[in-house]
Amino acid sequence: MLAAASLTDVLTTVARLWEEEGGNPVRFSFAATSRLAPLALQGNADLLISADEEWMDWVVERGGARADGVVALLGNALVIVVPVGTTTPPRALADLDVVPRLALAGETAPAGRYARTALENAGIWDELADRVVRGESVRSALEWVARGEAAAGIVYQTDVRVHAGVELAFPVPSAVSPVVVYPGAVLTGAPRPAAAVRFLSFLGSEPARGVFTAAGFELLAAAPTAQAYAPPPVSPIADPASAIMLSLLVALAATLLGLVPSLFLGRLLAHRQFPGKTLVTTLILMPLVLPPVVTGFLLLTLFGTKGVFGPTLAAVGVSVPFTLIAPVVAALVVGLPLYVLSARGAFEAVDGRLEEVSWTLGVRPRSTFFRIVLPLAAPGIAAGAVLAFARALGEFGATVVLAGNVEGRTRTIPLAVYSLLESPGGSRAAWLLVGASVLLSFLALAGFEILSRRQRKRLEEWSGR
Amino acid sequence: MTNAVSDPSLDVAVTLSLGALALRAELCTRRRAVAIVGPSGAGKSTLLRILAGVERRAIGRVKMGGRVWLDSARGFFLEPWERRVGWVPQDDLLFPHLTVRQNLAFAGANTDDVEETAEMISVQSLLERRPRNLSGGERQRVALGRALLARPELLLLDEPFSALDRPLRLDLVRRGQTLTERAGIVLVLVSHDEGDAAALAEERWLLVDGQLTRL
Repeated sequence: MLAAASLTDVLTTVARLWEEEGGNPVRFSFAATSRLAPLALQGNADLLISADEEWMDWVVERGGARADGVVALLGNALVIVVPVGTTTPPRALADLDVVPRLALAGETAPAGRYARTALENAGIWDELADRVVRGESVRSALEWVARGEAAAGIVYQTDVRVHAGVELAFPVPSAVSPVVVYPGAVLTGAPRPAAAVRFLSFLGSEPARGVFTAAGFELLAAAPTAQAYAPPPVSPIADPASAIMLSLLVALAATLLGLVPSLFLGRLLAHRQFPGKTLVTTLILMPLVLPPVVTGFLLLTLFGTKGVFGPTLAAVGVSVPFTLIAPVVAALVVGLPLYVLSARGAFEAVDGRLEEVSWTLGVRPRSTFFRIVLPLAAPGIAAGAVLAFARALGEFGATVVLAGNVEGRTRTIPLAVYSLLESPGGSRAAWLLVGASVLLSFLALAGFEILSRRQRKRLEEWSGR
Repeated sequence: MTNAVSDPSLDVAVTLSLGALALRAELCTRRRAVAIVGPSGAGKSTLLRILAGVERRAIGRVKMGGRVWLDSARGFFLEPWERRVGWVPQDDLLFPHLTVRQNLAFAGANTDDVEETAEMISVQSLLERRPRNLSGGERQRVALGRALLARPELLLLDEPFSALDRPLRLDLVRRGQTLTERAGIVLVLVSHDEGDAAALAEERWLLVDGQLTRL
């Protein structure tokens, strides 16, 4: 069963009641509706509960559900939230112009579109557009606010209760707010349609209604007529050229910044014995195998506004999340293991006795490093740099967590593709970026292969007597 | 190219345990050319590495020409780049990315000295080549020239010119010896071949199973 992210808590509770009463076990996939709607057409799911009528209509138009089978289940409302403990929270929409960052759900997610519509109706969208940061679903927007990365966010009133890190500032006035309706429908390709229909009607039963009301949802007796609101933008929401330029810039910056640390660490690991060497090696290599999203989360814990180094960075005027620094940091950390491993291998391949000879010729170790070791290891290090560059181009998971997905600032190629795939009419731009991605990766890997071969060949020639 | 050592005395008393090898060497000489012979694996190369300062784990004393190079009892160790030592290891270990000329000039010698030395070791026509384009004998000659151009007081030759057959080898070592004598350099030569040692050195020492004795 596919359900909008904002229903995560209530539906999990309702499903437990349902199973206690003898219903079949229910498995959920919770995500932004914009992500779920395409899945609803695939024929593996039984039921879709959307957070808006537009996406449900989209599914119905494509034959994913029958128009007469759509039931308006629940209503919700938009509110402005702030991090817990905010001293002077905004009290009206007009106050939002002092908020440096405003968190919304994604452009195509219902919560994101509802919020935009509300701000447009209030006539302040153009003024605020620059400060908007987007989480993927309403839940990620909530998380940005709870962490203090955004000073305010627009979410559903039901979300305020599920996250201890945020508190209500004020509800969005009903005069500007669109009506938020959750329609549900059994899908045409449902593998278990009978059970799906039973579960759908259970959602209207007394026990389920109790759960919904307690969570702050409105119960809808009959389908209300939804006020029209902004349809999904038809023009591509991500500019491919800007994404490509940004990706190249980020990858290049990460590669250049990684050079000195990689040389240092590669040299350290290749030729020095010290206590805790295994631990240090393991820590450096961790990002290679950690899920990038986890790496991103850890980086956010370190560099976020409320993170370990956040206040220190803020004191010198540096902010990592949502700025250009964030994708660079993410790419750097995720690419570093490849860089360091290549450098280590290149250093290990240099005969240590050459250094010893250099010392006896009166040349000190530092100078020996630059005159002997570095030139001999250079092709291997360059190969590592190319590999790190390629990895940086593909970085997604850590970036989306640490950097958000801000058009023109942190939206690199992978993030742009991800956004375009859920925006109607975005597939042409997506294909352009997919092509650019394949081409860039191919070139980078070919460069890596050529450099590695050169290093091998050089070493063979040099060692062959 | 003169860097005569006024006091050509070499005074060594070191011990070193490395795995199976237990090296114990006391060597005191005022000769200009000393040979150390012995079977392979006896620790000859290790002794040269101690003298060159690239084997740092030895315990004891090394004194060369009145200057202390190692005195572990006082915690003193003179770094290899501070020692005036020339080390020609068994594998010549030329710098593979540099030309013959750049190898010879590595320690900072000027062009004239490089060319003079190149002539003495008969590699003047090879100056712009890289080591991989040299024969084994040529490489070993360049390694000798490179060490000499660092103006050492002590020259260490590990199985010199092993890539050549004996007549050529002896001829080259003699030429090297003439040079060292003229420059006042003390020469310590390691060989597993007693014939070579007898032909070249004024004084011979035998190293067997890590034990050094005068012959």
